[in-house]
Amino acid sequence: MLKDELRSCTGGFEKGLHTELRGQVSRSRSAALLNGNLISNSRTDVSGVSARVYKGGVYGFSSMAEYSSQAADKVLKAAHDNAVFMDTHVPAGKPDIKPLGKGEYVTDVNITDAPQKTYIDFARQLDDYVAKACPKLISRRIMAVEDSVEKLLKVSDGTDAHTALPRSYVYAMFTAATPSGQPVELFKAFGGEGTFDVNFADPAELYADIDKLYQSILQKADGVYADAGMKTVVLGGMMTGMLSHEAVGHTVEADLVMGGSVAGKMLGKQVASPLVTLSDFAYEAFGKRAPLPVFVDDEGTKAGDVTLIRDGMLVGYMNSRQTADHFNMAPAGNARAWSFSDEPLIRMRNTAVHPGTSRLEDMIASIDDGYYLIDSGNGQADTTGEFMFGVTMGYEIKNGKLGRALLDTTISGVAFEMLKTVDMVGDTVTWSSSGYCGKKQPMPVGMGGPALRCKVMIGGR
Amino acid sequence: MTELCKYADKVLKEALKLGADYAQVTVSESEKKEFNVDGGSFSLMRTLFNRGVSLTVLKDKRKGSVSMNRFGDAEAANLVKDAMDACLSGQPDEAWEYCAEPCEEEFEYGAPECDTDKLFMRTRELLNDIGERYPKILMEQMITDHTAAKVVYLNSNGVCYKTHNGAYGFMLMYSAHDGDRGTSFFYNGVSTKTLDRPVIEEALLDKELSQIQAQLDASPLEGKFMGTVVLAPGALTEIVLQTALYNFVSDGSLIDGTSIWKDKLGQKVADDRISLSFEPLNDKMVSGSRYTSEGFKAENYDVIRDGRLNSFCLSHYAANKTGNRPAPNDSGCLVMKTGDKTLNEIIAGIDKGIYVMRFSGGQPAPSGEFSGVAKNSFLIENGRITRPLTETMISGNVANMLNDLVGISSEASVDGSSVLPYAAFGGVTISGK
Repeated sequence: MLKDELRSCTGGFEKGLHTELRGQVSRSRSAALLNGNLISNSRTDVSGVSARVYKGGVYGFSSMAEYSSQAADKVLKAAHDNAVFMDTHVPAGKPDIKPLGKGEYVTDVNITDAPQKTYIDFARQLDDYVAKACPKLISRRIMAVEDSVEKLLKVSDGTDAHTALPRSYVYAMFTAATPSGQPVELFKAFGGEGTFDVNFADPAELYADIDKLYQSILQKADGVYADAGMKTVVLGGMMTGMLSHEAVGHTVEADLVMGGSVAGKMLGKQVASPLVTLSDFAYEAFGKRAPLPVFVDDEGTKAGDVTLIRDGMLVGYMNSRQTADHFNMAPAGNARAWSFSDEPLIRMRNTAVHPGTSRLEDMIASIDDGYYLIDSGNGQADTTGEFMFGVTMGYEIKNGKLGRALLDTTISGVAFEMLKTVDMVGDTVTWSSSGYCGKKQPMPVGMGGPALRCKVMIGGR
Repeated sequence: MTELCKYADKVLKEALKLGADYAQVTVSESEKKEFNVDGGSFSLMRTLFNRGVSLTVLKDKRKGSVSMNRFGDAEAANLVKDAMDACLSGQPDEAWEYCAEPCEEEFEYGAPECDTDKLFMRTRELLNDIGERYPKILMEQMITDHTAAKVVYLNSNGVCYKTHNGAYGFMLMYSAHDGDRGTSFFYNGVSTKTLDRPVIEEALLDKELSQIQAQLDASPLEGKFMGTVVLAPGALTEIVLQTALYNFVSDGSLIDGTSIWKDKLGQKVADDRISLSFEPLNDKMVSGSRYTSEGFKAENYDVIRDGRLNSFCLSHYAANKTGNRPAPNDSGCLVMKTGDKTLNEIIAGIDKGIYVMRFSGGQPAPSGEFSGVAKNSFLIENGRITRPLTETMISGNVANMLNDLVGISSEASVDGSSVLPYAAFGGVTISGK
């Protein structure tokens, strides 16, 4: 557990100025095999302190790559000086941040550290299996990774916190060839919250999933291009998660709302089918622990869930303490920082559409001519709500039955128009949490949801 | 710098003492000053004091790498122990080889010292200039900064590089708004050695701000056709250059053999007018690295010269694996040779197509196939830009596009980390509503 080096430093908080002081240790572990060659074998450990001071509507921030009380004193002074510089040169003349009251939170998560051999041996054993069980692949990559963050936060007002978030994954990326020799790829991530040694005891536990991934890429290699145009589709839960995060979630981050996001004009309006409810969950979702739980954010706000869309109506934004004051909303723990040298930004935690009542089989059976789109390699969205997602795995639906697999394609649309076409919502939620959201800083996030039947523009060839 | 050298030397000697056949150490110290604008208003000033040390060791053809930012005798010992443990946990691979010849050099370039007051002045001036010239532009986020770094690189072959450099950076993300109308966001940036002139005059900032404001009147494209796309430098990088470089000539695709250009070295892969190079030593680059991550002095090199594939972009490891030559730099600072027609002259020769400023697309397929959304685009009809478009789908194949060049502009964006013209390509499927 991270030793508290900051206890003596809170005396350096200037009276009357909201101040945050954070100490942090971050680590990453990685072993990657490409066709059996160990191309990456690395470990990183980074620690440091940072401070942020609020004065009249602007912030000063400073960080130092050293976790000690002396470094804390230095960054407190530098952050204060920066806040004064800004308040002097570009005074915003805004009131102090609304107080939350003092509190304390201490994690019960203990981050253990497996030796590098654990990652390499796991990746090697899984790769050996892939090499034998998947003979038609033209290329294979296996990665075993972990990134973990432990933080100590002291705030002049709010909840002092000791938090820890380890997560670890195994990535499998396969390449196969189409009959004409063109390479096609498919990727899957396994894992979630927890250190590597806890999440991955035995490579054999992944063999069944590897077999499924192999079958999927062989089907894809024999696949067809989707017909371009507006189609009725069933989006799988992974695709719904991408939609929830990229196309809706970012537009309702309050800083982007202030930066001109389309959601600024839509609060209180119908933006989706009444079947759609969407939330950003803090640490529990649908009666279970959320994929990447957040209990206290990096501004000292105790985390709670944020309902963004309720029964199709846009009802909320995700806020920092500053934007919550601006919009007269309650902050709910969305201000998160990645590295010790990063300031808190408004970020999602675990964003998902709530499940409905439809069975996936019934949703597929209800479509005469459309597509079942399962997985996405990446997605991008605009502050206008316009989105574009790559579709890496999907199938035709013909007369209510799954048909041929699809080659890579894309879907696009405007989130708040497309969500109005949702007419069936699946009863089972699928989550993913292996990637990073990018917004000045990287940030691990969970995203998920049930299958959705809707209309969407598909790219075709 | 002396302290950094001493620490690097201590770590290197410790690694060799513990039995490393080869070791390389990088020790760095940096300071960043940064101003943030959010939603059109100043929001934050940051000062970051950073440092770090990274160590790579080889033992019996096994490799391990570790980095951390804690310094001291015990920390150095831990760093070396971790690196050796990681190294010995792997399997031998004959391709791991670091063979740079002994060399000692010092480099000072860019803007090693920060003028914080002037950086703030230029930031405020830029915000004011945009507000006066383009009142419909809303600056979602603007980050301006200066980073100065001292870096020592040392390896056990007798190579020592000492670098002191710095750069000013300006990153803008914005959209235009007028009542209920709003545009897609756009972003651009520039890095500079000096603050001698207003930032709005750098690269294409002024022109692109103007074009985004003009996007307020965008309307959908009707129908679908095969046509020409004129790619602004940003979209050119996103659609064509990144795909060509990542999928066709980089380590991964050459090692696993999925590159469609794996057997094309010396052969024609693009139109004769296309030359593409990595030039960290070009005077127009602000902070191109003077040496490679494997300890070799960097040299500029051509990837494509007059349409022929001149070099892959390979590390020594990948070069040894594939029997090719390693790249003479770490493949940064991209330069595309300019053409002999202006952008307007190129557009004048196009009957029907679109001009694209930004691209939002899926990961390009190894085959070069791509599809996605043309953002911030304009319709070209009968040789002129006629109107701004809302989101339009485009799809094609990058390898084919490189051989279906319509033209490369004589003007280029010089943004401190690349020199890129506009380029027009045929054979792209363009789909509207």
